[in-house]
Amino acid sequence: MDAAANPLLSVDRLTIDIGGANVVDDISFTVAPGKVMALVGESGCGKSLTSYAMLGLLPPAATRTAGRIMLENTDLAALSERQFRKARGKDMSIIFQEPSASLDPLTTVGSQIAEAYRVHHGVSKADAYEKARQMLVDVGIPDPTRRLDQYPFELSGGMCQRIMISIALICGPRVLVADEPTTALDVTIQAQILDLMKKLVADRGTAIVLITHDMGVVADIADDVAVMYAGRIAEIAPVHDLFRQPKHPYTALLLASVPKLDDAPKTDLATIEGTVPTPNEFGVGCRFTERCPLATEKCRTEQPPLFDCGAGHRSACWHIDRMAEIREVAA
Amino acid sequence: MSEPMKSSKTGHVLEIRDVAVHFGGRGGLLGKSGPVVKAVNGVDLDIARGETVALVGESGCGKSTLSNAIVGLQAPISGSVRISGDEVVGASRRELNDIRRKVQMIFQDPALSLDPRSTVGATIGEPLIVRGVAKGKALKERVATLLQQVGLRPEHADRYPHQFSGGQRQRVVIARALALEPDLLICDEPVSALDVSVRAQILNLLVALQKRTGVSYLFVSHDLGVVRHICDRVVVMYLGRFVEMADRDTFFANPKHPYTKALMSAVPEADPEVQRAKQRFILSGELPSPSNIPSGCAFHTRCPLATEICSRERPELTPRADGARVACHHA
Repeated sequence: MDAAANPLLSVDRLTIDIGGANVVDDISFTVAPGKVMALVGESGCGKSLTSYAMLGLLPPAATRTAGRIMLENTDLAALSERQFRKARGKDMSIIFQEPSASLDPLTTVGSQIAEAYRVHHGVSKADAYEKARQMLVDVGIPDPTRRLDQYPFELSGGMCQRIMISIALICGPRVLVADEPTTALDVTIQAQILDLMKKLVADRGTAIVLITHDMGVVADIADDVAVMYAGRIAEIAPVHDLFRQPKHPYTALLLASVPKLDDAPKTDLATIEGTVPTPNEFGVGCRFTERCPLATEKCRTEQPPLFDCGAGHRSACWHIDRMAEIREVAA
Repeated sequence: MSEPMKSSKTGHVLEIRDVAVHFGGRGGLLGKSGPVVKAVNGVDLDIARGETVALVGESGCGKSTLSNAIVGLQAPISGSVRISGDEVVGASRRELNDIRRKVQMIFQDPALSLDPRSTVGATIGEPLIVRGVAKGKALKERVATLLQQVGLRPEHADRYPHQFSGGQRQRVVIARALALEPDLLICDEPVSALDVSVRAQILNLLVALQKRTGVSYLFVSHDLGVVRHICDRVVVMYLGRFVEMADRDTFFANPKHPYTKALMSAVPEADPEVQRAKQRFILSGELPSPSNIPSGCAFHTRCPLATEICSRERPELTPRADGARVACHHA
């Protein structure tokens, strides 16, 4: 992976425990400046917990039991809450799925954006507002001066997400964590927001960690992809390799279950039988075993390591050599 | 249910003529007259037996309002809605009760559609009891059959919704909707809230049920990938009117309305090579308010092809050589 050459952020063997279960289990990945790393997976796979850990926002029930989160030479996971407050917003920031739930309904958007700047910079209110106005121009909001004085309810969902992005980026963080940033938006607005994110990455060199379940969004914007399943990384690869040559049965089936352009209509889509295991159902072996068409006794009893397949492509499967069988199942 | 049901002369399970649904405008708070929200503004649609028609559009385009008008949950201000020949508009409560046997609805979030305190057996059996279709042992058997038809087991009847996963809950919802053997099932974003791997299971189930029972679907969705997979015909709605309708192959091979093209280009394809090579056609701006619909063609404020005539004259849906019908001066 090219990110490995010069990583800005590296998550190293991160493990998070809730009630005795490793809901995030030994996760490692790196992101280089100006690159987009996508964490993909279904509900409960641990992708959101991983991102919250990066910002010191883990819920009280969750504890990081192992691993480091390095932003260049600083271990974020070792920061005190006070130190984290300084880093959040300035070095790293986060945007969430539901922008209207993240904004204060009783405060104008201008004051919310300016506040984010004033927390980290000792400037006057007027200067912070001017900075906020420029930020609105950067995120493509027309008529920014008028918008600054409006409240969130006066803006559409797409507009609110642009405001969230403004708040997240006004201090010029090096890493932006985007947790399902377009899931609540219509497709035409999603396309606008994804284009905006691509532009920001290109112009500012911001590294993005994108949390999503949408393979289309991944295909559009990601440079590298980590596919997560039940708290573990199943497969990690540069985006083109992952889509062209998936090396984990879960990834292959997930891709096959998305309707394609050239599918015949009303034919059966590939499915993954069963459901994602809950943390108390995690076995000692591969957590995908119960749903995997390739599973053998070894899968049940031994956890597969992330095997290196070359060119930054790694897969946690005992049966990488049998992937052709999956392609038959999926076809 | 004293009267026998009239059957449609045309064999259509749904016939909509010039339906309009408006909100507000008179007798508002303190007797003031507010703005009129023109949610649906004169649409015609027929659905044949065993056919699946997709209704596509962004939030606020009127697709849910139209669905509600079809099942008689929302009274249109004008027009006619016939379900298997029976008029819904202006029907008495008793007539409506009879008609609703023929049309059922399922929604996006199955957790919100199920009573958490009823067993799924009671939930599925309820319409059968209410209609006096079955009771006692016959009821139990019918519920068991319905559970099997949607891929669940008869013993699941004694469980509560919280004991099921999201995908299983949507199966329960589908079983209940099919209990009275409706002619038409309105599916309002039925897989949007489900995980990707489960989505394919539910789509396969809907296709299989249609093959077995001949039920027709009105499939409300914003996901064109899903639409392309499951539908026979596609209707695109923008600000309360249909702007394009065509059979599936024509629609996807040769989209004509600029709004349709924009929607298609906005949906990210789950293939980085296809997605990144795609010709982009990104709309600027957002959906105008349905209380203040632009003059002429409602799309002209966002349309890259718009000329002077578009703001003056509303284009009618007109047939094209390949059978598609399009409302555009320039397409």
